[in-house]
Amino acid sequence: MADDALLPADRRSGTEAAAAHPRSSPLRRAVPVLCVVAVLLLIWEGGKLLFAIPDQKLPHVGDVVAILFSRTQGGRGPLLLVQLLANAWATFQVAFGGFMIGGLLGFCLALLFSRWGLLERGLMPYVIASQTVPILAIAPMVVVGLGRMGAPDWTAKVVVAAYLTFFPVTIGTLRGLRAATPQALDLMRSYAATPAQVFWKLRGPVALPYVFTALKVAATASVIGAIVAELPAGAQQGIGVMVLNAAQFYNSRPPALYAAIGAAALVGLAFYALVAFAEWLVLGRRGDARHA
Amino acid sequence: MPEPIIAFERVSKVYPGTEGPVTALHDISLAIGQGEFVSLIGPSGCGKSTLMRLIGDLEQPTGGTLHVKNKTPHQARLDRDYGIVFQAPVLYEWRSVRKNVELPLEIMGFPAEQRRERAMALLRLVGLADWGESFPWQLSGGMQQRVSIARALSFNPSIVLMDEPFGALDEITRERMQDELLNIWSAAERQTTVIFVTHSIPEAVFLSDQVVVMSPRPGRVKRVVPIDLPRPRRFETRESPRFFELVTEVREGLREG
Repeated sequence: MADDALLPADRRSGTEAAAAHPRSSPLRRAVPVLCVVAVLLLIWEGGKLLFAIPDQKLPHVGDVVAILFSRTQGGRGPLLLVQLLANAWATFQVAFGGFMIGGLLGFCLALLFSRWGLLERGLMPYVIASQTVPILAIAPMVVVGLGRMGAPDWTAKVVVAAYLTFFPVTIGTLRGLRAATPQALDLMRSYAATPAQVFWKLRGPVALPYVFTALKVAATASVIGAIVAELPAGAQQGIGVMVLNAAQFYNSRPPALYAAIGAAALVGLAFYALVAFAEWLVLGRRGDARHA
Repeated sequence: MPEPIIAFERVSKVYPGTEGPVTALHDISLAIGQGEFVSLIGPSGCGKSTLMRLIGDLEQPTGGTLHVKNKTPHQARLDRDYGIVFQAPVLYEWRSVRKNVELPLEIMGFPAEQRRERAMALLRLVGLADWGESFPWQLSGGMQQRVSIARALSFNPSIVLMDEPFGALDEITRERMQDELLNIWSAAERQTTVIFVTHSIPEAVFLSDQVVVMSPRPGRVKRVVPIDLPRPRRFETRESPRFFELVTEVREGLREG
């Protein structure tokens, strides 16, 4: 019965499909990134030259790199690079804690909302309102409030990071949980599937790609939350503190600010990469990964 | 006629609309025997899909009574009496072809060994034995629809509901699929009752024991045309004079009133 007429025009077996869509090697994927870096360098240094921007306003890229390898505390401390990485790591930990708590909260809210529409109609306005209030206004309140309650320094930072994290996760997960088509649901109904079966075999798998997209947004948001929460606290460590310090002493060492900002960006990038890796672990081997 | 397995008595279906209620089905009385292949045909809006969905308990009638195997459609659904095939294959993209066929068996709690066996047997039946570990996107439309049919049959339902299953296929593939469907149905000793929604007159005549001709606004049964073409039906059947007579009869049924 398997007649040629019924085969797809390009009968793609697994290997042929793989050949048609070659997994690009890491080296090959690095090419566009490196190209963009080259262009940015060109714009930076070109612009500096063209518009005669003084070093005080925009340092040379080389100076920014050089300062990474200078010693801090007037030559007695560790390399600036080491100091930046240590502080970046502290911020990353806070962001990660906030991400986990906020992610879990967002996920649970989405589950509740998808199950009880009434709850969504009642609570969603507050969820949205919570995100329109500037985080710069919220963060000091949280920091001061929790500080008075005698909570350790890091709790306030984690709370602010979680505050920025839960929203995208709620919205993305909710969208995903509703993405199953009516017909796919009709099929489940015709099998007399239980609500739990519908969740595990249909709604959940359909929602997963949406959840990961939301988690990627949340990953960078949680880093912003962690950094913002470091600013009012008079915190001792964190990449936000480093940015603040470098800004204060900008006149004496302009490149240090750029280095600190670069390190802050690196935290967000690293976190995003981590989530993307988790996504690949969970979805990458799924048969429909090609579409994801 | 054999003992009816599906019995409509003065069934109606009214939807609440924004501009007053809309009658989708009006005063439907119809009896379908066990093992019969029945097509529902009519223009868009005649309620043929709704009629099928009422049988499958995907929607509920607003008037009259409907019995399936002397039970309510709800009970029949809980007893897993229905296999459904839609116009779109509705395969779960993240599952392999075999896992798609196994889906209803998983839900019904069949052990893994038995699931695999049944899925492979059905994939052989629809000619896709070599494709079990492929994924839906690797298959053509016709092949995907055959997976969908295999899935509907995997748990041996007594009634198979098909809603324009070949509507999205090209004419050549379509006729081939019709032949295959009859082969599959015959392989099960024609014990399975098939409700087949279509808007193709030759398709309805070629496949069916009865063609239920419907008309829209409100959806009514206008005529039931018994199809007395001998089985097994083959390629030649489509060229026999009797086939054309019956096609004409159904077409006239659609035109009148």
